[in-house]
Amino acid sequence: MIEPFKVATAAGTSAETLVLLTSAILFSIGTLGLLLRRNPMAILMSVELLLNSANLVLVLAAHKHGYVDAQSAALIVLVLGAAEAVIGLALALALFRNRASTDIDEPNEVQG
Amino acid sequence: MDARFPYLVFACVILLLTALGVVLAKKPVYSAVSLLANSLTLAVIYLMLSAEFVAISQLIIYSGAIVVLFLFVVLLLPQGGSESGHNRGRAVAAVIGAGTMFTALTYALLRGAVGPSSAAAPIVAAKASTVLDIGRSLFGPLLIPFELTTLPMLIAIIGAVTLWRRQEKVSRE
Repeated sequence: MIEPFKVATAAGTSAETLVLLTSAILFSIGTLGLLLRRNPMAILMSVELLLNSANLVLVLAAHKHGYVDAQSAALIVLVLGAAEAVIGLALALALFRNRASTDIDEPNEVQG
Repeated sequence: MDARFPYLVFACVILLLTALGVVLAKKPVYSAVSLLANSLTLAVIYLMLSAEFVAISQLIIYSGAIVVLFLFVVLLLPQGGSESGHNRGRAVAAVIGAGTMFTALTYALLRGAVGPSSAAAPIVAAKASTVLDIGRSLFGPLLIPFELTTLPMLIAIIGAVTLWRRQEKVSRE
């Protein structure tokens, strides 16, 4: 069993700030990828980054407050992330399998 | 000061570098491998935060299943799914968007979590949570959300199969 980080001390506060900042930066990097890339694969991976950063905050909260439900919520997010990846990748494959390029702006036959 | 604090800093730096790799890599294969490294590092951080079960789930679900799925799809896409040159306006807009997001998030998180408002929140002594605790919580207070996750899973499976069947019909004609 790994001995948990001590959160109530001053060092714990800085660890907490560090993890929170990491999570915020991770979410921003995910947003950057979401806006910057035009490749469906890269966009889906950026969404995974967003989910990961949200999970990190949930696990940190569970650790800080000794509240296990937050860890369970992180598990639920993990499962939903898997479902999202499956359906997103299936869509990307269906759209781009018979095309020359993989640009998310290109397909226009799904317009209403 | 906790002796393992430098390790946590190291893990966080690796986490952010691999995340940048996911976003900035030109070829999706490199992005997928960076995502693998990212999820492995995240599992390490979960272990440091005494969330063993979440760390193992992260290993099995993300590193084991999702990244492999990404790699398979990269192989199936034309040209390995690599993308043409960047649009300058799009890059500027993306950086502005991400910067705004970072400012807002940092403000909200640091103010909400370590600011004066959290002083009233009860801080329980951190104890390692076992699988038993997580099971009690998943089948206790979180039973309904937990069971509802089966619905998106079912929809994802049926949707993926349906999309593929339709694709098969088109390519056969």
